Amino acid sequence: MGFRTRQIHAGVTPDPQTGSILTPIYQTTTYVQPSVDEYLSKGFTYSRSGNPTVRALEVKLADLEGGVDAACFGTGMSAIHATMLAFLSAGSHAIISDVAYGGTYRLCTKILTKFGIEFTFADGSNVDAVAAAVRDNTKLILTETPANPTMKCSDIAAISAVARDAKAVHAVDNTFLTPYYQLPFELGADISVHSTTKYMDGHNATVGGAVVSKSEEHAEAVRFIQNSTGTIMSPQVAWLTLQGCKTLSVRMDAQSESAMAIATFLEAHPKVEQVMYPGLESFPQHELSTRQASGYGAMLWFEVKGGLAAGKKLMDNINVWSLAENLGSVESLITHPVTMTHADVEPEERARVGIIDGLVRASVGLEDTDDLIDALAAALEQV
Amino acid sequence: MAEFLDFDTLSLHAGQVVDPVFGARAAPIYQTTSYVFPDTDTASSIFNLERGGHAYSRITNPTVGVLEQRIAALEGGSAAVCTASGMAATFCAITAILSQGDHIVASAQMYGGNISLMKNTLPRFGITTTFVDPTDNDACRAAIQDNTRLIYGELIGNPGLDILDLDAIAKIGADHHIPFMVDATFNTPYLCRCLDYGANMTIHSVTKWMGGHGAAIGGVVVDGGNFDWGATDRYPTITEPYAPFSGINLWEEFGPSAFATRIRAEAMRDIGPMMAPMNAFLLLQGLETLSLRMDKHMANTAAMLDYLQNHEQVTWVSHPSLPDHSSHKLAKKYLPKGAGSIVSFGVKGGREAGKAFIENTELASHLANVGDAKTLVIHPATTTHSRIDAEALVAAGITDDMIRLSVGLESVQDIQKDFELGFRAAKRIAKG
Repeated sequence: MGFRTRQIHAGVTPDPQTGSILTPIYQTTTYVQPSVDEYLSKGFTYSRSGNPTVRALEVKLADLEGGVDAACFGTGMSAIHATMLAFLSAGSHAIISDVAYGGTYRLCTKILTKFGIEFTFADGSNVDAVAAAVRDNTKLILTETPANPTMKCSDIAAISAVARDAKAVHAVDNTFLTPYYQLPFELGADISVHSTTKYMDGHNATVGGAVVSKSEEHAEAVRFIQNSTGTIMSPQVAWLTLQGCKTLSVRMDAQSESAMAIATFLEAHPKVEQVMYPGLESFPQHELSTRQASGYGAMLWFEVKGGLAAGKKLMDNINVWSLAENLGSVESLITHPVTMTHADVEPEERARVGIIDGLVRASVGLEDTDDLIDALAAALEQV
Repeated sequence: MAEFLDFDTLSLHAGQVVDPVFGARAAPIYQTTSYVFPDTDTASSIFNLERGGHAYSRITNPTVGVLEQRIAALEGGSAAVCTASGMAATFCAITAILSQGDHIVASAQMYGGNISLMKNTLPRFGITTTFVDPTDNDACRAAIQDNTRLIYGELIGNPGLDILDLDAIAKIGADHHIPFMVDATFNTPYLCRCLDYGANMTIHSVTKWMGGHGAAIGGVVVDGGNFDWGATDRYPTITEPYAPFSGINLWEEFGPSAFATRIRAEAMRDIGPMMAPMNAFLLLQGLETLSLRMDKHMANTAAMLDYLQNHEQVTWVSHPSLPDHSSHKLAKKYLPKGAGSIVSFGVKGGREAGKAFIENTELASHLANVGDAKTLVIHPATTTHSRIDAEALVAAGITDDMIRLSVGLESVQDIQKDFELGFRAAKRIAKG
């Protein structure tokens, strides 16, 4: 079955009792067991351990990624955290791509280090640098590609080979491209992590996360963490996300097409210093992006001539686009990572990995492309 | 199998079987529009009302169905139909049995929306209403015309709080063979089951005490199953063949739930005011604690009555539990657990003082709802009953200085502390 069919039908069968075409919202804590001997015979015991509505989403996401199973979480950060807890222990070492969402960086440097886990932030665009960071105790390599917010890409196949040699798990944060455009398992990765808050939901309605596993062994390890730490997704969130998934490909295509047009517009604009969008031929890893993904996504960033002051002026004066955190929704959002999403990354580290002060991150939504471009043009006019 | 029929038990369990698919203890929220049919025969039999089952959520929905069955059980009715609002319930119930040329005898003392429906909207479709003093049973009897097809009232009138003499009015209905429909919103089945006293159907805005948390708008019509529709030819919508469903005769096919079936087959299908599944779920949560909440509402109301009666800024207090209320005897008869948590009182200083009182309370919310868990206050003359002319205001028992209080579940000491803020402001106005 093709992606568009699976994004609608995978994991969802009409309710056997009523025929309800949509999975009911099982807003319940517990499940009545037929007898002691038949404990779990209907599959569910307690909604921390599993819930039919959440389960439908898990099956769908596993199907879309081509994995064996998925586990859903309350947030994307819970999904990242569960991935780390599943594969790291005190004394373990993990390699993280040096550009990653600020929350991932904070989780590693401020929290997990307290439990004796070591991290190296390596340049994901340089396979040799990743290989060089491998130690005897390296258990996990996490690459965010394209990375938030610089759009730096990691070669999933090459890093998966490094991970295999190191007997480490390779997890890919696939939030920016989703399985519609990028299939990490086909490229050799072991785990695909998502903030479902972004394109899976797509409507700015929920906060959620998911960890998809390629192997039963990994899936079991993640599920154990899901149940033990209890950072679960709620049934209401799962239900809304199930609805969002149905239009994932349609939204991704339309938003990506707009992103390409916007990136092209910005690149030609005299007041714009630079634009980073994987679809542009000027993008440093355009060839890699074309090779490992079937689309370029709807995230980009640019710098206005005049740096931070000019960028602020643009962000404060723009219409149609909303100045907000989050990304991947139908509403176009503009974000200033240095003060917003990546404020907890130290200035030196930001400078080292290319998160410059004037970087303006754009999440292209589903509005008319012309309106988005006109709004940018008008805001640039005022700079 | 044992039958567990006590009110508290029914409010938790009635209408719900444990989800057979996964065993989910809470009723699943069937947030779906449609239902996949196993085969075409099943589909056509559901469409023709030959068998139960779900086709489309405008007509039936499994989550809404749990709420419908639970309320029917609590009321002691044969069936219930939930609607998008209390007003939709009233409209659907009336139009299920009345047509052009028919007539209603209704209480003059009702929620403004009910009065407006009967005075302004239904006449456009040829249904007229005579409004009578709800405490004057002779007036009710005298208002019956040849074309009268319904007697309608609120058990506890809004906002005068006069109580219908259910037995007496049910007898008038029975004598003339006219069904008696009661809006039981203010009492809920916990305080009084109107069907037990001869009412033939009840209406609720479940937005109020039934739901109890101010979270969802909804209504319900309960079919008492105790009216003999076939005894006369006055109710053709129930007793004559219904063309849209292959000429089915609802009275013959559905007997005691023929009225509810008519609402579902016609109003839900052609007008479509369905209750949303999510609202049904929220209302089910509320209903689980109905008796606990009503007991506390009654206790707080008693304490507030005591407080208000002894307050120097209060000119008068009206509540059916007070001996000087004209409905006191009826309250004792029909509402022994308590006569509701709506209290009316007058503030010294008239209209402006009343306004000052409402504007200066902090805990009590000023809004146009009743039956919330939170204490609410409102000035009916300028809000809920503002679309009614001066004469009707008097008939409805509304005065300029009247404040309507919906006693909530807060600490009664805190409600009183809050009222002191209002009374202090009112006093400044009164002194001028």
